[in-house]
Amino acid sequence: MARLSELEFPAELVASARAGDPAALAAIYDQAAGPILTLLVRLVRRRAVAEELLQETFVDVLEHISDFAGRCPLAAWIRTLAVNRALMYLRSPWHRAVDRLTPDQHADAGLTLAGSRSGGNDQDLERALMRLQPLTRAVIWLHDVEGYTHAEIGALLGRTPSFSKSQLARAHLRLRGLLERDTAVPEGAACRPV
Amino acid sequence: MPPRLNCLAARLATLPEFRPPAGGWPAVLEARRLRQSHGPRQWPALAGVLALGLAGGLTWLSTQSGPESLADHRPAASLVSGSDAIRLENARLEYLLAAMPEPGSMRGSTAFTVVVLEDRLAAIDDRLSVTVLEPHAPEAADQLWRERRELLDSLVQVRYAGLARSR
Repeated sequence: MARLSELEFPAELVASARAGDPAALAAIYDQAAGPILTLLVRLVRRRAVAEELLQETFVDVLEHISDFAGRCPLAAWIRTLAVNRALMYLRSPWHRAVDRLTPDQHADAGLTLAGSRSGGNDQDLERALMRLQPLTRAVIWLHDVEGYTHAEIGALLGRTPSFSKSQLARAHLRLRGLLERDTAVPEGAACRPV
Repeated sequence: MPPRLNCLAARLATLPEFRPPAGGWPAVLEARRLRQSHGPRQWPALAGVLALGLAGGLTWLSTQSGPESLADHRPAASLVSGSDAIRLENARLEYLLAAMPEPGSMRGSTAFTVVVLEDRLAAIDDRLSVTVLEPHAPEAADQLWRERRELLDSLVQVRYAGLARSR
């Protein structure tokens, strides 16, 4: 499955989708759904919620694709819609309350699914990532994996770029602390090629 | 980025991906159909009805009771504005901060103060995210929003002073 940043849609496919061609839209969903779902699970932690947000994101795509001006790659545009959906969810006090009332958050996040396809080191990292506060996790994922700049993250969160920087520093420290506590691996082992 | 952090980012990027549910696309089409049938287009009409009702009610109050008794209804308005005003002030300061240009360089002491203030802001945000479950949640939340406003205000002043110095 391709990473979100690696997704490139042919110009003809994008043009057909903008014109409302159902086959083109379905083809875009087929390619982008996996990477977008992965992004959403990492942001909101719960697989069921992420699937719901994936659906909402693609309803947004259907409703606004005709407005897509092509100033950025289509995958980046869809990703922005998904990130906005996830942040709306994370900001909602109701959803936060539900999230905290449900006891086994990590299992629900789909860690068992991820674990079945990855080694022990990945499971440790995934578990540590899911233990971070939602805002902290969002900052580290958007910056380190999705390649957002601090200015972009600050704008998304309604904060300053320096806020994003300090959050990222805290996230790295916390993640490293969790990994070292859980795995107690030697210093160099964490940097083995995966 | 230091090598260890760089390594952490690389490991995050190689975490396994998730497969979307089967039948996802038909579900999207169905969700869109539902959104269109119950969608937000009904909200403007509802908002219009509510606004008309409110305007009518206020007009009726002013004609029935005169200006003195209309003034009696002001505490209700101020009750609404109490908590909301603090949140609005927070939003205004956030907007102000976001609009400030990033300084090219910053004195060490200023940078330190900014980091400390932002750290305290992040801590308050963490607290705010759990206050919904606390006893006396509204009061606790209001207190946190007030503290947050003070911190934001300080942050704006520090950032502004830093900008003024760098010019």
